[in-house]
Amino acid sequence: MFKLFSSLRKELLLLINDKVGLALMFLMPLLLVFIITIIQDSAYKMVNENQIPLLVVNQDKGKEGEKLVGLLQKSGLFKIDSQNSIAQESLKSELLSRGKMIALYIPATFSAGLESNAEDVSGILMDDLGLEHDTTAREQISMPKLSFYNDPVLQENYSYSVMSVIQSYMSVIENSLMIDRMYANMDIAERSAKLKDRMISNRVGIDQIVASNNNSTAIPNSTQHNVPAWTIFAMFFMVVSLGSNIVKERVNGSFLRLKTMPTTFMVVMFSKMAIYVVVAALQVALTFSMGVWILPKLGLPKLSVPDNIIATIAVIFISSMAAVSYALMIGAFAKTEQQANGFGAISIIIFGAIGGILVPTFVMPGFMQFFSNFSPLHWCLEGFYVLFLKGGSWQDLRAVFAFLGIFIVFCQLGTYFKLRLERII
Amino acid sequence: MDRTGQVCIEIRGVYKRYKSAQEDSLSDVSLDILQGDVFGLLGPNGAGKTTLISILCGIIPVSSGDVRFFNNGKAYSNAERKSRIGFVPQEYAFYQELTPRQNLDYFGAMYNLSKSKLEERREHLLEVLGLEKAADKKVGTFSGGMKRRVNLAIGIIHEPEILFLDEPTVGVDVQSRNAIIRYLQQINQSGTTIIYTSHHMSEAEEFCKNIALIDHGRVIAAGGLEHLKTAHAVPNLQTLFINLTGEAYRD
Repeated sequence: MFKLFSSLRKELLLLINDKVGLALMFLMPLLLVFIITIIQDSAYKMVNENQIPLLVVNQDKGKEGEKLVGLLQKSGLFKIDSQNSIAQESLKSELLSRGKMIALYIPATFSAGLESNAEDVSGILMDDLGLEHDTTAREQISMPKLSFYNDPVLQENYSYSVMSVIQSYMSVIENSLMIDRMYANMDIAERSAKLKDRMISNRVGIDQIVASNNNSTAIPNSTQHNVPAWTIFAMFFMVVSLGSNIVKERVNGSFLRLKTMPTTFMVVMFSKMAIYVVVAALQVALTFSMGVWILPKLGLPKLSVPDNIIATIAVIFISSMAAVSYALMIGAFAKTEQQANGFGAISIIIFGAIGGILVPTFVMPGFMQFFSNFSPLHWCLEGFYVLFLKGGSWQDLRAVFAFLGIFIVFCQLGTYFKLRLERII
Repeated sequence: MDRTGQVCIEIRGVYKRYKSAQEDSLSDVSLDILQGDVFGLLGPNGAGKTTLISILCGIIPVSSGDVRFFNNGKAYSNAERKSRIGFVPQEYAFYQELTPRQNLDYFGAMYNLSKSKLEERREHLLEVLGLEKAADKKVGTFSGGMKRRVNLAIGIIHEPEILFLDEPTVGVDVQSRNAIIRYLQQINQSGTTIIYTSHHMSEAEEFCKNIALIDHGRVIAAGGLEHLKTAHAVPNLQTLFINLTGEAYRD
């Protein structure tokens, strides 16, 4: 017991003396969680809560352009800057110089084109119903096109979201015009208001329901996504501390010296694993505490801890074992500390990228989604998401435990055989 | 009863060839090392000294041949051997981030010393090896000589019966070298058998009672130092060494 205690103490002392490793393991996750959560949360708010700055150039000669601007204004989603005197040719440069991210150009024929189209649609309906209407030949104006300008740095999905909003308001205007025209052709124009009101106010609503297995589970938000994700990332970054620690002991002969002593190498390895599993648990405690107590104070969503505490502890344990085992294997295979640090850190970034830490796996191309299955970070993240977002049960965690179990065995065997090859074990 | 003179290590027909090597690193090595001896394993670079010490310490196995350990004429097992031997490698095989006290605490515990015995031995060694004042400073900040003394202290913390030293004084100043050799002589006088490799012929001549000269993995001369000098009609060990191993460079 004294031997084990001494070995644990030695590992702890080595860890305490590794200032860079400590900073990477404890400061980095806090900073990452803090920064990424704030960024993602503000991006989320920008779309959903904040008004989007929109430069509008309305050169429409009719009333519909004004109506569209009015609807956009009324929606409360946009902070509209109307600059009708700007020519379309100079809109790009104006957009960039005014610091606006998006602009909408309404052409001069906007109303005329819409009205012409409404007249055509109405004519078709009147013909089909066998009703008389004015068939006097009139000028055909093609359907107008709005021009949407966006700063090149604006993300594509953000632009698409704004265009979808504009499109939905356009539907309202087009439908309204068509109803007006049909009623006018039937000489009952004064009655159109009731139908228009009914059509506009009685649209199919969409209820958003979070597909979780537990009614009390948290609503997905930036905190709920980022705290587990970056905690896992930081856990695996222990490769820099533990990996180089093992390389040092291999290279300086400490391991060989131990081989001449009446002790088993299991004590050494067990001590390392135990200390670093505790480190991983502390990382989790630290970042989760930040999610629960600090982030809400900064106006960010509070981290909601899963109800199934035992399953959460099990996922934390198996994730930390996966991180420790990977670090041991890198330490066993690297020839120098630089190799362990460089390869270890880069491999974690790659595992993190393909594992869905940086961007969700579902937005990745099919082949990348396939490769994500080979990232231990993906399975750790999946384990946390099952608990934090889906309110999953032990059964939902089966694949997580199976894959991480295989990964741990693979790393441990790799470490064992490499150290055996070097005659350390 | 004085057991000096009894064989404590018997090496018979030992061969060692590393995987993928074309030649044997050790070839038909047979030696007897006596209890209480200071035995020098001498030879040029790549001769096989470190390989032989590694085999004797149980770090690597023999390809063929036999090594047996005795205490007062009674053979003991490999497992028992680990408690009875001490090993001081050429490298600084300890933790530079820790203090000498912390290093000794760890390695002493690995030798199964009790807490009280460990504390007693630790303080004794820190004192006799002149490390007392630096006992709570990180070893990484030490001079080469101080690091060598820490390396030695770890190897002898458990008072081994047999001590293996691989170049224990390489790269240290005269003061540290004298301190190390003086202390090794002391522990030898109190009964510890010492097996030692070095490139310092004058140091070996002063320190060793018996030697084995190894070259190309073979023992080319072995016996009492004075006897060998007389038999080869040479004034000192350095001349004997050059006469037997030649003057060509070794890699």
